[in-house]
Amino acid sequence: MSTTDDYEDSNYEYVTARVRSRRSKLFDDDDYRKLVRMGTGEIARFMEESEYETEMNRLGSRYSGSDLVEYALNENLAGHFEDLLRWSTGQLYDYVVRYLRKFDAWNIKTVLRGRYSEAPRDDVEADLIDAGEFSAAQLDELVEAGSVEDVVEVLDRTIFGDALEAAVEDYEGTGLLVPLENAVDRTFYEHLIGGLPDEPDRATGLYVEFLEAEIDFRNLRNALRLARSGADMDPADYYIEGGRLFDADELRQLVANEDQLVERVRDSVYGDDLDDALDVLAGAESLIEFEHALDAALLEYADTLSNRYPLSVCPVLSFVLAKEREVDNVRAIARGREAGLSPEQIEAELVVL
Amino acid sequence: MTALTELANVVLQEGASGPAIGPTAAAALAVGLGALGTGIAQRSIGAAAVGAVAEDDDMFVPALIFTALPETLIIIAFVTIFVAN
Repeated sequence: MSTTDDYEDSNYEYVTARVRSRRSKLFDDDDYRKLVRMGTGEIARFMEESEYETEMNRLGSRYSGSDLVEYALNENLAGHFEDLLRWSTGQLYDYVVRYLRKFDAWNIKTVLRGRYSEAPRDDVEADLIDAGEFSAAQLDELVEAGSVEDVVEVLDRTIFGDALEAAVEDYEGTGLLVPLENAVDRTFYEHLIGGLPDEPDRATGLYVEFLEAEIDFRNLRNALRLARSGADMDPADYYIEGGRLFDADELRQLVANEDQLVERVRDSVYGDDLDDALDVLAGAESLIEFEHALDAALLEYADTLSNRYPLSVCPVLSFVLAKEREVDNVRAIARGREAGLSPEQIEAELVVL
Repeated sequence: MTALTELANVVLQEGASGPAIGPTAAAALAVGLGALGTGIAQRSIGAAAVGAVAEDDDMFVPALIFTALPETLIIIAFVTIFVAN
């Protein structure tokens, strides 16, 4: 990829117009209602008639069933995000490429989980999304790695290297992947916010605001998971810097008392956006529903920002999030149908606005 | 600085008999500035329009209309020529 030219203007108008058009072509409520009642074969046919046509036709001869759906989804996602990078220029390119490093983090986590659970190579490969900074060759090398430790070694020279190496001991001690996964997430977010210029430029301000919201939600999710699981771990170890909701010490206190944590969030800037989600949390036994509500809230927050500031990076990020949700949803439907879940059970797994 | 003062004096002396530039020249200025404004507006709208058409061919007509909308600026600026004469 070419380096960013400081004197080149950002083409927000062009990218925003294209992104909004693509955003409107994503599946809506009606489509999901139809999809959850279909078998995997029907889902594949439905997708052939949607914007996934090219991918479905190309991969149709090699795979079938939910594997086909999964490969097509990932390929389509990668294609869309590569387009984003191709279109954008100047500052906008810089913002987008930083954010898409998320997929490097995703790929690393997928490979780690695959190695941890000793999943076959093909299954791991199906879940990789070639949309980040890593080249196809680097991804191949990752998939080839034989154990969790090998994966860490392959990543030695990337930005994730140091953090992973530090976390590997923790992993060997506890046998849990959580330290490694958090190291990956933390590196991603630190590099995302850390490198941004300090000048109080409006566009940068918005970008940071959006990222802070995402970090806060991630912290909140981690805190709740720890609170609910009752695991004896120090929450500050998993705290991601850069959010504006809590700092590490506060988080440690709040994890001990879930009611206080909920109250704290309700009083925060996100109170209005998260009201519904918090009500769900109060009533629900499991965290899954709350986590879905958090995803929906983040999506809505991104949408609000993108409507308020149409000529900024926000519409692009909102599209990226919405597209990810769609891919997750369709994957959940295809896998759920394959496993024989009822439409109601699958519907509970979906994140729809 | 002295040159500027002399120039100002000349302009003021001339100004005693009438405006610094005639009505036709002022109208020309108005049309020119109007065209500049149109250009600036169409720069953004054009970029967005091309983006929209690239995604969906049906957007061609709306895109064309919105791209042409700032033309009203230059058309209205054109009227000043007839007013000035």
